[in-house]
Amino acid sequence: MHPLLLTFMIFGIPALIGLLYVFVRGTPSLRRYIVTRVALTIPMVLILASLVFLVLRIIPGDPVTSSLGPKGSPEVKEQMRANLGLNDPIIVQYLSFLGDVVTLDFGDAMTSGQRPVVDELGEKFPATIELIVPAALVALTIGVLFGTFAAVRRKRASDYGFRLFSVVIYSMPVFWLGLLLILVFGVWLGWAPTGGRIDAVINTTLERTTNMLTVDSLISLNWAAFWSALHHLVLPTLTLGLILSGVFLRLTRINVVETNEEDYIAAARARGIKERTVTYKHALKNAMIPVVTLIGLQVAILLGGAVLTETVFNWPGMGRYLVERIGLRDFTAVQSTIVMFAVFVALISLAVDILYSLLDPRVRY
Amino acid sequence: MKRSLTVFTLLLAFALVAAACSSSDEDATTTTGAAASSTTQADTPTTAAAATTTTAADTSSGETTLIIGTTDAISSLDGSDAYAVHDWELLKNVGEGLLRWEPGSGDKLVAGSAEDFGAFSDDGLSYTIKLKSGQLFGDGTPLTASGYAAQINDRLLVLEGSGGVGPALGQPYLTSVEAVDDLTIKFNLSDTWGFFEQLLAGAPYIPLNPTQFPAGADAALVEFPEAPIYGNGPWYIDSYFLGETTVLKPNPKYQGSLTPQVDQVIIRYFDKPEGMRDALLDGSIDVAWRILGPDILAELQDAGFNVETVAGGAIRYFIVNHTRAPSDDPNVYKAIASLIDRDDISDRVFAGFVEPLYSPVPVGFLGATEVFDDLYGSPDIPAAQALLEASGYTADSPLQLEVAYPPEHYGGTVADSMQVISEQLEASGAIEVTLVAQEWSEYIGAVIGGVDYSVSLLGWFYDYPDPDNYLTPFVANGGLGTMITDPDTGAGISAAAQALADKIAEAAANGDQAIRKTLYEEAQAMYAELVVTLPLWFEAEHIVYGDNVAGSDAFGSLEQLNIGATIEYNYATNSKG
Amino acid sequence: MAVDLDTKDQPPPEEQALQAWERDLEHIGIMGRLMAGRKWHGADWWFVAIAIVMVAGFIFVALFPGLIAPFNPREQVGPRLLAPGETPDQDVLILRVGEPAASLVDFAGDERIPTGVVRGAPASEAVRDQADRITEELNGGGDERRVRLRVARFETLDEVLDALVVGDVALAAASSLEFEAVADRYPDLFVAGPVDSDQGGGQSFLMGTNQLGQDVFSRVIWGTRIALIIGFSASLFSLALGVPLGLLAGFAGGKLDRVLTMIMDSLYAFPGLILAIAIAAVLGPSIFNIIMAIAVLYIPTYYRIVRGQTLSTKEGLFVEAARSLGAKVRVILTRYIFPNVVPSVAIIFSVNIADAILTGAGLSFLGLGLPPTTPDWGIDISRGAPLMNQAWWIITFPGIAVMLLVLAFTLLGEGLMEIFNPKLRDR
Repeated sequence: MHPLLLTFMIFGIPALIGLLYVFVRGTPSLRRYIVTRVALTIPMVLILASLVFLVLRIIPGDPVTSSLGPKGSPEVKEQMRANLGLNDPIIVQYLSFLGDVVTLDFGDAMTSGQRPVVDELGEKFPATIELIVPAALVALTIGVLFGTFAAVRRKRASDYGFRLFSVVIYSMPVFWLGLLLILVFGVWLGWAPTGGRIDAVINTTLERTTNMLTVDSLISLNWAAFWSALHHLVLPTLTLGLILSGVFLRLTRINVVETNEEDYIAAARARGIKERTVTYKHALKNAMIPVVTLIGLQVAILLGGAVLTETVFNWPGMGRYLVERIGLRDFTAVQSTIVMFAVFVALISLAVDILYSLLDPRVRY
Repeated sequence: MKRSLTVFTLLLAFALVAAACSSSDEDATTTTGAAASSTTQADTPTTAAAATTTTAADTSSGETTLIIGTTDAISSLDGSDAYAVHDWELLKNVGEGLLRWEPGSGDKLVAGSAEDFGAFSDDGLSYTIKLKSGQLFGDGTPLTASGYAAQINDRLLVLEGSGGVGPALGQPYLTSVEAVDDLTIKFNLSDTWGFFEQLLAGAPYIPLNPTQFPAGADAALVEFPEAPIYGNGPWYIDSYFLGETTVLKPNPKYQGSLTPQVDQVIIRYFDKPEGMRDALLDGSIDVAWRILGPDILAELQDAGFNVETVAGGAIRYFIVNHTRAPSDDPNVYKAIASLIDRDDISDRVFAGFVEPLYSPVPVGFLGATEVFDDLYGSPDIPAAQALLEASGYTADSPLQLEVAYPPEHYGGTVADSMQVISEQLEASGAIEVTLVAQEWSEYIGAVIGGVDYSVSLLGWFYDYPDPDNYLTPFVANGGLGTMITDPDTGAGISAAAQALADKIAEAAANGDQAIRKTLYEEAQAMYAELVVTLPLWFEAEHIVYGDNVAGSDAFGSLEQLNIGATIEYNYATNSKG
Repeated sequence: MAVDLDTKDQPPPEEQALQAWERDLEHIGIMGRLMAGRKWHGADWWFVAIAIVMVAGFIFVALFPGLIAPFNPREQVGPRLLAPGETPDQDVLILRVGEPAASLVDFAGDERIPTGVVRGAPASEAVRDQADRITEELNGGGDERRVRLRVARFETLDEVLDALVVGDVALAAASSLEFEAVADRYPDLFVAGPVDSDQGGGQSFLMGTNQLGQDVFSRVIWGTRIALIIGFSASLFSLALGVPLGLLAGFAGGKLDRVLTMIMDSLYAFPGLILAIAIAAVLGPSIFNIIMAIAVLYIPTYYRIVRGQTLSTKEGLFVEAARSLGAKVRVILTRYIFPNVVPSVAIIFSVNIADAILTGAGLSFLGLGLPPTTPDWGIDISRGAPLMNQAWWIITFPGIAVMLLVLAFTLLGEGLMEIFNPKLRDR
């Protein structure tokens, strides 16, 4: 089964079932909201895809010449151009592009042998997922934990310490942090591998289904592969996660502080409920609402950071693939990749919005 | 809330188990990636997935694996199309040409899958050669003369893909190939090419497995065939993941002399050379091959690794546009030729790791001279100033010169080298240099078009080790932007240019190597006089490995990693222990 | 985050409970509040103050890099890969004892002289520069001869000296310290004199030199200018486009609002760096294109916030009142909406600059931004990455610079947000 499909299924099926459950159990206004919100996703994706198409077609520079270099004959190049439809009028190209987007036909890569883009994405997309999901978890954990600490110790030294930490860490360029971590933990201390997804020899024993190596190794009960994949995940995940934790820290802190000021919290305290319960059970729960929304937005930042992280850590994911394809002016691959990103982001923000509407009954469309 | 959570977790577990079930069904050995047998999932179209790996096979102790790192990537595995260094390397390990290079020799041709060298006919227009009998491809398909002839006739001479090797190394030289009998092959040449045997040792002429690379009516390019990929050489490709790894294992049906010394070769692909360096330092790879930068090489040397310089390599040069101002003025291009300080570039930018190049034909090739040094002796600032003044350029009215280059394509050192060169040109006091950086895809088209740039940087890597491959491409048919001959008619733009074109053609068609040597020496002198291109430096290839990798008993000293004349790395020549 | 700065009206009822001096504050206006806020806001005020000082410092550096940077950032000023504070060795000319040649001048002639050096050693440049200077002297005095060298590069000093002993090379150049260490094994060789490169010798550099012999400190200083130009310009463009659009959408409402919002939301959700990469790659390497690419990314942010502010203010009672009194649109905009919008925009602007600098650094790290000879932090980090193990200083200092500059603007934005946000005031 195609790894892309599998990946989507692993995350998608539970999400879909959750959505159905919410729909069935929800109020009519909630249902209306869900339907509207889902319907909005499609124009969003189409707008983005069209923007991408437009931007790419303005380019001077030609994927055919780019890949052949000085060694291709003019006749070959002409043939290739015709095959790729580059000689058709722009409108025709745009319409056929839209048609492809709707049917999710990603076409063949224009260069490097016209390999179906779907296959390339099938290998790269799960790799990126495998990187950003743990990174998001790391960022969330550190951010929420420290943010709460800071909020509780407001205006004291540790509060400022945490805030400084969050701002400093966010100010670091992610690629610089990655290089430093490689230098310190990879080269000097040797605690973690400096790049790649898994040990090369162990890799030959691993059977790939989803192309997310940790998942695949669990599925096939290949423990050596699991530990190797995990070990290779440490540094890149830490890099990306640390940078983002700053944002979550700040946001959690602000929201916990604000919530702390609310009357019902004061009331809870007045009733004699333990401070810790007040903080974690009551304040945090409500403070999480905007944090949840922020996760959706942070996906965009995560993906952007993933591009740089993948470059630094030699991680064969979508970010690296995109940069490479742009340099080759490979329209097809670039379009498809960005559409893929857009779909992914749209789905995540859809999920987040619905989650938010669940948690906060005040919000309706 | 709690109940929902339980349901959610159960669903997730279900999804995982379903995936696990489907995958265990296809647990057979190396098949394609189709998930046909699963019952719980809908019928998904079977796309040509890149490859599967083998089962959790026996990597038990006792199996040696050689891990090679590279920053290259696979562009095509079809020999009738592939035109990149790494592709050729894989082709030459998975297949064995009729003739091939002796590993480590640098320039020694030997018979590979042929019984012996072939023979030219009396008129020099055909070449007949006989295959060894009983050869099989790794999957058992027999290698026959008729199969080979079909491969060349139906594929190399006809098909054109994004690699484009057919039109470059097939069609100009051959008219057709015949199978005289079961094992004898006759090549019908289009002219009396003196270097045909070198050409024959190249990757496009390696036998391909007809089951995976069909000829005849079904002839089509298969750039990414499904693994496993079997050839007639010492290895077969067991699996490959683009941008990640390629795994090779010894070919059970191989009969030749390049015996594998390890049980498995894994190639790991890196994006950047520093990633490769780090992997070498922490032991995740054994060999680092193509392309490390000069400082990384120095660092690894200090760290105790073996750094070997390898024969072959790339040259860098300026394309000088002879139909565009100001580079159409002989005073200008000779002045530029007199100002370049190649040693300065080597020391400052490359830490001494490149060699100054004083001729379009690099050192070691037939008839190579150092004619640019003899003629211009650069850096010679007074001479350059005199030339520039003769055309009216002085410190008060300097020459405005644009120099173009592709910032990404040749690695990070290019920008540095261009900066150093512009300093050198401006040291004359009569030139003002504007550096123009342009993305490769636009750049190469503009350079070859011969309209946009006067002076542009380019690199070249030979297709076959013969001086012809360093001269003809820059002279004939517009010369990749030098415009020294007309792109359409091929006529020289001046008497001197025509004479040069004639001389080179004469040398290519001559069979006598001694005569060719003299002709090439003369051609180089004419070339330098015209500054068709301005050769800058030669970048040798380097290979880095630890002490646990060695040569093999059959191939020269244990210290040397026997890299052949054409840079492809014969994996069979290495052992590990 | 609507902040009611319209202090001329009656203070809202809950303020009655405040202390006298706090009530006075309400009547002073923004500037007064900021200054008096030292007592009020405590450490937050200090955050902002420090941030302002840092920002001012960076701006000064960006405006007058020539005053602070000791060298031209594109010029070779010393040997390559010199560590911070390290002084380079003196290089010397080494000849065979008993030969007629006693110095470089004696090698003047027409042929190139085989010269041995260790690969990558500064001695190679030094001896060549020395030879060029001697040639110039000779030619200036009417002597036509030249001193030209054919450099042969060896892996180790021993190989060089062995080659000199047997005559494979006619002279050698190496570091005097290194030669002294092995001199007793080569009694037939002697030091004929120093050789100096054109940059002179013996100078050390505060942050060392990079792989081209350029001063890292100067490059860091000049890089500030590029970073700030990109940061400010991109943010200004975003602001100039986003704020009016947001005002328009918020004020006008209806279909225009919905369409614009949909477009902006799509853009907003999309990974910024990736869009910037695509745009930058398309437009090509130039500073203007980078600015444009980054500017596009932040328009939705301004749009959203301004639109939100406009919407909520529009609904406010006092605006209703003003309108019913016949106040013009322009008046409503300037008197009611603007003052609410300005603080938010200021905060976003500050954080925006920080983000723009980071994105710009990311783009030039990927090689997609500026012309590669520009002294830019991202470019320096990318070029220095392969050298990280041997020459840590090439990436460390630019990285710290990026961090500090981004930190300054982020702290500024953070601090401003704390100050302007009334909900966070302690009671």
